Amino acid sequence: MNPTLNVAAIVKLEPDFSEGSVTYNPDGTLNRAETKSTLGPHSAVAANAAFYAKVKYGARVAISTMGPPIADLALQQAQLISNADELHLYSDRIFAGADTLATAEALKTGIAKMEGKIDVVFSGHRASDGETGQTGPQTAWKLGFPFLGDVIDYDINLETRMVRAKRLITLQGFYDIVEEVEVPLPVFITIHPSYRPLFKTVSERLAFEKYQKEAKVRAANYKQYLKIFNAEQLGIVDLSLVGLPGSPTIVYKVERIPKGKANRNAEIIDGSNSEAIRKVIIKMQEAMSRMVIR
Amino acid sequence: MTEGDYRHLYVVMEHEEGKLIPVSLEMLGEARRLMDNFNKKYSSEEKVVAIVLGHNVRKICEELIHYGADDVIYADSPELEYVRNLTYTKVIGQIARDKDLARKVSEEYSKKFKKPRYMFFAADSVGRHLSSTVLVELESGLASDINKLVVDDIEVTHQHKTNGKATKYNKILEMYRPDFSGFLWTLILCLDNKNPSIEREYHPQACSIIPGVFEPLEYDASRKGEIIEYHPKLEPQDLKVKILSRNIVKSEIDFGRYKVIVSFGRGIKESPEENIKLIEELAKELDAAIGVSLPISKKPYSVTERIKSTYMIPDRVIGTSGRKVAPLLYVAVGISGAMQHIAGIKESDVVVAINPDENAPIKDECDVFIKGRMEDVIPKLIEELRRQQPKIRA
Repeated sequence: MNPTLNVAAIVKLEPDFSEGSVTYNPDGTLNRAETKSTLGPHSAVAANAAFYAKVKYGARVAISTMGPPIADLALQQAQLISNADELHLYSDRIFAGADTLATAEALKTGIAKMEGKIDVVFSGHRASDGETGQTGPQTAWKLGFPFLGDVIDYDINLETRMVRAKRLITLQGFYDIVEEVEVPLPVFITIHPSYRPLFKTVSERLAFEKYQKEAKVRAANYKQYLKIFNAEQLGIVDLSLVGLPGSPTIVYKVERIPKGKANRNAEIIDGSNSEAIRKVIIKMQEAMSRMVIR
Repeated sequence: MTEGDYRHLYVVMEHEEGKLIPVSLEMLGEARRLMDNFNKKYSSEEKVVAIVLGHNVRKICEELIHYGADDVIYADSPELEYVRNLTYTKVIGQIARDKDLARKVSEEYSKKFKKPRYMFFAADSVGRHLSSTVLVELESGLASDINKLVVDDIEVTHQHKTNGKATKYNKILEMYRPDFSGFLWTLILCLDNKNPSIEREYHPQACSIIPGVFEPLEYDASRKGEIIEYHPKLEPQDLKVKILSRNIVKSEIDFGRYKVIVSFGRGIKESPEENIKLIEELAKELDAAIGVSLPISKKPYSVTERIKSTYMIPDRVIGTSGRKVAPLLYVAVGISGAMQHIAGIKESDVVVAINPDENAPIKDECDVFIKGRMEDVIPKLIEELRRQQPKIRA
């Protein structure tokens, strides 16, 4: 049976910020050399959203990433979550050092090479190392797909080929807004970290269990599903659009942020002195009992 | 590139139903300072141009002039009432390339105008995405989450950009981005490829700006400027995202309702579970909300599922990557005081820090610095609070 829906997720191999894996330099910055790598947490959320499409709509799932050969670890981990049918690794020395624009160019080209015409692409909210949150929307624009950001819930009507999605919008100094939108396929969705798929019907739960079991088997043999492309195999004609040559921006230097001038003049209290602590409490209570006039 | 192709600084404003988001005025303030210096340094008259999209937005345009914009370009249509990435990207892309608008902004600089020299967006739910898509549309580079900006002439030697040769770049926007730890600045530049084999121009040089960082200017009603209307050209396919409903929701963690906030950071690391329980107890005594620093939201410690799902979440983060707060009392436990965190708490009335390290930056950002390990200090605070409790209730 041909799937009625093809979805893809783009993921990233990132530093593992969990205890035992992460190492910090004495100055508080991340020690990249010593820190292990893993599927990024937001990428995992994107894979989860793709899995939802598999359980709910029987979608075919493809997962892709750009990175060095070891980035296949992220694909394997994402397959375990999503029971993916196809894994893509875009790996070429020429891609190294790409900024988000050049990364989006490679990802866009790769997504076009997936089996079936892709209806929905998912990405995480942002990478936990780069944290720009730009690669998703930039890939969307290059694909020509309408972009929906911060999606907390989505459903697809397979008859009308329409997506309905809820987005969480947070603005400085304002209330949060949940916006419900409708858009025809294809669409590009970045998933908000708070996304939790819900499976309500018995048949969905059965499908969920079946696919989860299958995902374990598949991920154990992930290389069978893996396709590796270099720039030439991707069919990237203009190599000046990818990697460092295709990156408008460069990191010119990294420097320590100088300590600013003190904004407050702290009274220093010895934490082991009970009398001093008592005075702090009185000060805290004074602060709390002030009138709130704003 | 020739000098005349890229001119002015375009700043994309954000508002919610006609009410300006504070970051809009903050960006204008910084834009004004930057371009005043620019024009002095380079003896030019390039402009700060505010871009406003929306419905019934003419009235906020005046305001933007008073807050520092030289000119305002606005597009007013029911189709633009709420931000839709697709529609907004199209319209902003059109505005940025429009020669006729550039002529109304400045006759002198319009002859060879291709695109703006610089562009600013807000680094929030809306601007973060919009900046990304607009810069693909304009085929240039973008730096996100910036908190310091400088314009300068620099000499760059780069394998690709300059083919390894020292090359002069003029009027470059230096965009400084704090990393997640808050202790390092990455200086990001958007540079033309001057290497003949990959020659390409990258303008505008654009960035998204962290809300709450820059100071807006004082309102000045004597400031004058042009307000220019743009009529967008929209095709049906630009409008295919339909907004069905918009509902205001309260965040589960509503810091605004609390007089006191207790926050914790990586200082909990020696025994995360126990320390967080101590912090919970302290918060209970103070009737306080609990916040966290950014690294905590990355779930760095193995703790029980309850603790993880309650506290190690982005919704609890205080600082420029999360919420800005202004309680009567802010208690920072095991927080070193990275600048992004400080930016989120600076409006607090009284700040108390608990930290064993007297050299931690938080020392300069608090009113009371309790030197000690939280394991020792918090029980003492709780004990004293309980002893005094009847007095408070009275």
